[in-house]
Amino acid sequence: MDVLNVEYMLGLVPVLLTYLPLTLQLAGIGMVLALILACLFAIVRVLRIPVLNQLTIVFISFFRGTPLLVQLFLFYYGLPQLVSALTVIDGVTATIMGLTMHFSAYMAESIRAAIVGVDRSQTEAALSIGMTNGQMMRRIVLPQATRVALPTLMNYFIDMIKATSLAFTLGVTELMGATQKEAAGSFLYFEAFIVAAIMYWIVVELLSKLQNYLEIRLNKAYSR
Amino acid sequence: MKTLLINVLLTISLFTSASLLAQDDPLRVGMSGQYFPFTFVEQDELKGFDVDVMNALGEEMGRDIKYETANFSGLFGMLESGRIDTVANQITITEERKKAYIFTDPYVYDGAQVVTKKGNTEIRGVEDLKGKTVAVNLGSNFEALLRELPYADQIDIKTYESNLERDTALGRVDAFVMDRVSASQIIKEKPLPLELAGPTFSQITNAYPFRDTDTGRALRDEVNKALATLRDNGTLASISEKWFGTDITQP
Repeated sequence: MDVLNVEYMLGLVPVLLTYLPLTLQLAGIGMVLALILACLFAIVRVLRIPVLNQLTIVFISFFRGTPLLVQLFLFYYGLPQLVSALTVIDGVTATIMGLTMHFSAYMAESIRAAIVGVDRSQTEAALSIGMTNGQMMRRIVLPQATRVALPTLMNYFIDMIKATSLAFTLGVTELMGATQKEAAGSFLYFEAFIVAAIMYWIVVELLSKLQNYLEIRLNKAYSR
Repeated sequence: MKTLLINVLLTISLFTSASLLAQDDPLRVGMSGQYFPFTFVEQDELKGFDVDVMNALGEEMGRDIKYETANFSGLFGMLESGRIDTVANQITITEERKKAYIFTDPYVYDGAQVVTKKGNTEIRGVEDLKGKTVAVNLGSNFEALLRELPYADQIDIKTYESNLERDTALGRVDAFVMDRVSASQIIKEKPLPLELAGPTFSQITNAYPFRDTDTGRALRDEVNKALATLRDNGTLASISEKWFGTDITQP
């Protein structure tokens, strides 16, 4: 048992690979929804829209201030206790809901910071040539803010991919859940979890490559 | 956003008023998939004693069985919130659980067993656990059994989601407590340096819990009937022989 069981590890690769799409799906959908939500929150916060601004502040405070696992349990086990019809929220939905709300709270703040960070002279110039607030946001502020926010947003996406490993507590067998069950059947923990670790690592590495590419593209206007 | 959410919730609640299980609905069964040899996964295939018994019951009842796997500590939450109909994970009948759920007739008779790392001469039974660190599965009946001991306050009880066998073999805890049957099976078949410490210290009977509702009671009665048939025609005994080489389904 002291020798690494390479044969077992190789046999596990194709099995675990079949669960990788679900992991990516959870994170992918979560990221898209979280981005949309975060942009809305950030705009509400920047423009200080009354009432919505206060609600957003409470939302961000709650979802940033409580652990993701607590939120997942609240959605999955807690809500159906209050309203029994909410049992229709299955594990996958609850996971995506949790990831979306949790990460949108974080992302809203970094998007807001990126928007506020765009130099005042830029907005003044846009308004001086007669752009409306909306045009200014779309054409001048958001493109510049995107460049600033990209690295941190990618950070959150990477974090979200790894956070999907909590989904098995809600009965969703994704990469980590499948690994846990295989490890429990074989008692070859090191072998099983190192295979899973390498898979997560490769996915994140590929994303870092994508991030590099995007950063170079968004920096084009600034490089001379 | 808010009105959208409310609309979605209202629509959802309209579509979920069905309460009684139709004859051809599958029985939704929760298990951890992490309790060798009762429920575990090998090369993506869910296997084990509990899987075989459930499949046989399903065949007898003429119902499909739909398995849901989740960490053990989540299973009762899923049962409570109506996402599964029962749990097939060697659930021991206890007074506490009887207050919340209704049980079928027992299908496994077993005992609680202390297991230590091989070569441990200090712990030779449950009475030697004083001052030791002992692992049990979170939410399991073995945790309750340890806490009932008169010297429970002198035992450092650690609760695990899974992998407590490994931590005992590594020496992170002095012992773990599990049922005798699966403990012997793990020692026999898996590459972990463990051994049984002394005799079993408490009789346990395991059964399937159901929610105490009309649907739950109807399903419980249906499973009980099938269970009795499988017991009479020897199916239960032969599944047990296959996994354990002995009949654990008789008291």
